[in-house]
Amino acid sequence: MVRAVPTPLRILAIVFVILTGLILLAPLVVVVGVSVSENQFIAFPPQGFSFKWYEKVLASPEYLSAGATSLQIALLVTLSATIIGGAAAIALHRRQLPFSDILATFFLSPLVLPTIIYAIGMLMFWSAAFGPVSTATLWIGHTVIALPYVVRTTLAVLAESDPFLEEAARTMGAGRIQRLFHVVVPQCIPGLAAGAFFAFNISFDEAVLSLFLRKPGLTTLPVQIYGQLEFSPDPSVAAVSSIMIALTIVLIVIIDRMLGLSRFAST
Amino acid sequence: MTDRAENLILALPGLLLLALAFFLPIAQMLVLSVEGANGPTLEHFVRFLSDPFYLGVLWRTVRLSFIITVICAAIGFPLAYIMARVGPRARLWLIVMVILPLMTSVVVRTFGWMVILSRGGLIPALLRDFGLVGRNFALMQTEAAVVIGMVQVLLPFMTLSILGVITRIDRRLEEAARTMGCSFLQTLRTVVFPLSLPGLVAGSLLCFTLSASSFVTPNLLGGTRIQVLAASIYKSVTQVLDWPFAAAQAVILFVGILLVLAPYVKMTARNNG
Repeated sequence: MVRAVPTPLRILAIVFVILTGLILLAPLVVVVGVSVSENQFIAFPPQGFSFKWYEKVLASPEYLSAGATSLQIALLVTLSATIIGGAAAIALHRRQLPFSDILATFFLSPLVLPTIIYAIGMLMFWSAAFGPVSTATLWIGHTVIALPYVVRTTLAVLAESDPFLEEAARTMGAGRIQRLFHVVVPQCIPGLAAGAFFAFNISFDEAVLSLFLRKPGLTTLPVQIYGQLEFSPDPSVAAVSSIMIALTIVLIVIIDRMLGLSRFAST
Repeated sequence: MTDRAENLILALPGLLLLALAFFLPIAQMLVLSVEGANGPTLEHFVRFLSDPFYLGVLWRTVRLSFIITVICAAIGFPLAYIMARVGPRARLWLIVMVILPLMTSVVVRTFGWMVILSRGGLIPALLRDFGLVGRNFALMQTEAAVVIGMVQVLLPFMTLSILGVITRIDRRLEEAARTMGCSFLQTLRTVVFPLSLPGLVAGSLLCFTLSASSFVTPNLLGGTRIQVLAASIYKSVTQVLDWPFAAAQAVILFVGILLVLAPYVKMTARNNG
């Protein structure tokens, strides 16, 4: 194999990767840095070291209630998106429905439409049909946005599964329900799990839909942070943000263990 | 029960959800955009397209999205190539480097940039120390701040789009080019780059679309002076409470994005057919 990449180019590549890494990770590092600062004002590099902003967050009713709202909606969305999307992916994979190609595009369409256009439509539709927005509005909206991710991860896993397992179960006399729950669903588990974690992440971090559908008492964590940033941020915003970053890291580690990051990143 | 009935039952909840909670709301928005006091009207569109202020907003949106997309492509292509060609361990770390920001809330990342770009922040301080700018130099509330923030937000999308295509390129093609006398850079230019164009195009369209429709980062880094179309929509909904006008602006954004996407969809359809 010819592998000689000229040495100057190798060095250039390393410098390039380090610089790009700095751009990509700098905002996250800075946020975590600010969150442990003793200073009253937001400044980086931080001065001193203290966890007082975390204590302030954990004693703040606004952040706690926003956190509870976010968590509640994210868990509901994880459940609904995984069940509805998983079932749809199984049906799409079998390709026995009429217009199955068009159906697949249909299920992935929320990916293509910018969220802001959907958010404004959802706000107007909900107000006209049901009146004021509620937790259910955000639940349904986030489920729609997260659905394509579950469909995609489940379809990807099914594409690599053994199609004859279900046939084998059928010849051995397993009924329709038995085949579905004892053969097909277990085959989907890695895809369903990855989809579930994506759904949680999308709902928990989502800001656009949540900003359009907000009202007093229905404030998610990203909306609460956005509101603070528009007015008078103190380092407690950084503490909340750092908690969200930590949660993202946990999710990435779990997804890597379940599915492998490399595999997910190149599809 | 037939197989077909079983599959229909499995797909039905998703079909209903998307029909009722996705396509119906969008239809509602389309209807509202032509709603006037006395029946259907195009007055909201006329108002937008005849006001120099809103035309300026539209032009700024297109211009910034274009700049952001070009910068993302310029960084994303080499990054994706390096990711595809390093060893598995290094690749895993690079993937984490790209995916960690991608999966972090946009609000949190923009906050980080607010700290870095603020008057006392790292970048202005650095530029001042090198004597490149004066004492009153500010980055916040400028288009440059929006571009920097948005590039960081969208670079992962671009990189992953290109990476997906580059990993599928047969490496023997590069080796063949090298053995036949191409230098490394010639190989990159004449073999790798043309073959990765589909990823580059798809990534660019994604970046342009997401960039044209985002308002969180432009609002926080650019402020009210530098308004983009999505920010104007948000303002019409939450502050002015002029919903039909907001719907009309959303339709303009939607049509603009379709115009950008249409040639690409046509192109891929022809390649597949």
